[in-house]
Amino acid sequence: MSEKKDPWGMDRYNFKMPNFNFKKSLILPVLLIIIVLWALTGIYIVDANQQAVVKRFGKISKVVGPGPHYHFPYPVETVNKADVTDVHRLEIGYRTYANGETKLVENEAQMLTGDENIVNLDVIVQYRIGDIVKYMYNIDNVLSTIKQVSESSMREIVGKRKIDYILTVGKSEIQIKALEMIQNILNDYESGIQIVAVQLQDVNPPDEVVSAFRDVASAREDKSRLINEAQSYVNKVIPQARGEAAAMILNAEAYKEEKVQRAKGDAEKFTVTLKSYKQSPKLTRERLYLEKMQTVISKGDFHIFDSQISNINTFIGLENLKRSVK
Amino acid sequence: MKKIVAIIVAAVAIGVFILLGGAFYVVNVDQQAVITYLGKPVKNVTEPGLNVKIPFLQKASFFSKKILDYDADQRIVITEDKKNLVVDNYCKWRIVEPLKFFQSVRTQNGAIARLDDIIYSEIRVELGNHTLTEVIADNRAEIMENVTKASREKAKEYGIEVVDIRIKRADLPPENEKAVFSRMVSERERIANRYRSEGREEAQKIRSKADKEKRVIIAKAYREVQSIKGGADAETIKIYADAYSADEEFYRFTKTLDVYDSLGENNKYFLTTNSEVLQMLEKGIK
Repeated sequence: MSEKKDPWGMDRYNFKMPNFNFKKSLILPVLLIIIVLWALTGIYIVDANQQAVVKRFGKISKVVGPGPHYHFPYPVETVNKADVTDVHRLEIGYRTYANGETKLVENEAQMLTGDENIVNLDVIVQYRIGDIVKYMYNIDNVLSTIKQVSESSMREIVGKRKIDYILTVGKSEIQIKALEMIQNILNDYESGIQIVAVQLQDVNPPDEVVSAFRDVASAREDKSRLINEAQSYVNKVIPQARGEAAAMILNAEAYKEEKVQRAKGDAEKFTVTLKSYKQSPKLTRERLYLEKMQTVISKGDFHIFDSQISNINTFIGLENLKRSVK
Repeated sequence: MKKIVAIIVAAVAIGVFILLGGAFYVVNVDQQAVITYLGKPVKNVTEPGLNVKIPFLQKASFFSKKILDYDADQRIVITEDKKNLVVDNYCKWRIVEPLKFFQSVRTQNGAIARLDDIIYSEIRVELGNHTLTEVIADNRAEIMENVTKASREKAKEYGIEVVDIRIKRADLPPENEKAVFSRMVSERERIANRYRSEGREEAQKIRSKADKEKRVIIAKAYREVQSIKGGADAETIKIYADAYSADEEFYRFTKTLDVYDSLGENNKYFLTTNSEVLQMLEKGIK
């Protein structure tokens, strides 16, 4: 056999076929070693975040937690492990890439609202494995099931609500409803999945209409600006008016005080004068009269006529004539 | 020694023969099996565990016991009010009677093809009985329930249980979206206009109210002013009256003299010598 020329040129290694005539006593130890090695394949380690299900001939025999364990080697027992403490996250409506950038996935994000508007919703669904046995053996394609259920639930919820509600105050209520609904459906499927949280990331109107929505926001601001301006007008005008009113009243009071005081003054003067007058009324009377006449006459342009002249018209203007002739 | 070797060799040979021929088979916890004898089904195995069969003659076919997934492609369905909707649904199903399943559709792919036919026709029928708003908002759950029930009935003959059918997406086709967008824009414009004119209205009201209040304040002040002035006048009248009534005649006399103070300068006076001051000019002292 070794004499035969090997087409691959392997004969230069002078390969010797093993001797099948080995001692019979070797068979047992070799078999033993094989059996021991086989038995050793049953050692397995469950990580801190994992649980493992041990199946004996396909039937579940036990569920074990973290640590080193032993199972009967294949094909008697097999082990399936899964991360049960990790919280996983699923993105709907967008994807985050390794470099941190996010990108909208329009046909996932876009949803019809109850009043037949369209909104874009970015949602994160966080979940973990609640029951490893159900998770492993009850449903096929768990990940895509969570996604389907989440999308369907979100759309059902959004479809029942109005766009203004969704865009403004509805966020937390929608999150709570969505979590409830997704969990209920997954429970119906006995999926063993526990939803930890549903978070609405971005809720926006689609790009095509976003400027119109912004204008509504600025219109709302315009409204409050106009009202504020009017309010500041009020704040200017009313105090001004009150000031004016106070001034008017103070003026009137001043008028009153002045007038009364003057009257009192006049009255006192009169009373005092009268008192001295009464001591010699006739003389005082004459004196007062004549003194007055004196001042009057000294100021005015007096023309005196004899009481016998019956018509004074002919004389009026003559003094001017005389002056111009000069 | 020879004997032992012979026994071991024989045992291994038999073992290999049995294993190759398939005397044992394991049904997993998420599996079920149909055993056929020369192609003819003889039994269902639904419990997991180790089982024995006749090598070569009997054959085991395994089927999943899990809930299986069928995610349909999206397609256009017409609603009762003749609107097009792009509907994307999924279906959860499982094999409940492996024998029927095996005989009718054989594989999961075969089953999905049947399910697709059933579900599509049920969805078309059901959505055709509802308007767009009903599909989107009001009756979604009920519609999905109906489709699930009807499909479940029809899928029975294939040994399939339809667990759940849900509409994942029901969106408008792109050409209808444009109309929705322009409606949304005009709706927003309307709302924006409303805000602005509400703002103007409110501002106008506030300003006018302020103007009114201003006028009222001034008018009230005027009233008070008048009453103060009136009071002042009344008081002065009384003061004068009290004082002057002591000697009315003297008052008249002094006041008349005061009036003469008000005569302006350069007035022309034509007096005759008859007047009291001047009579001495003519008559001398009597």
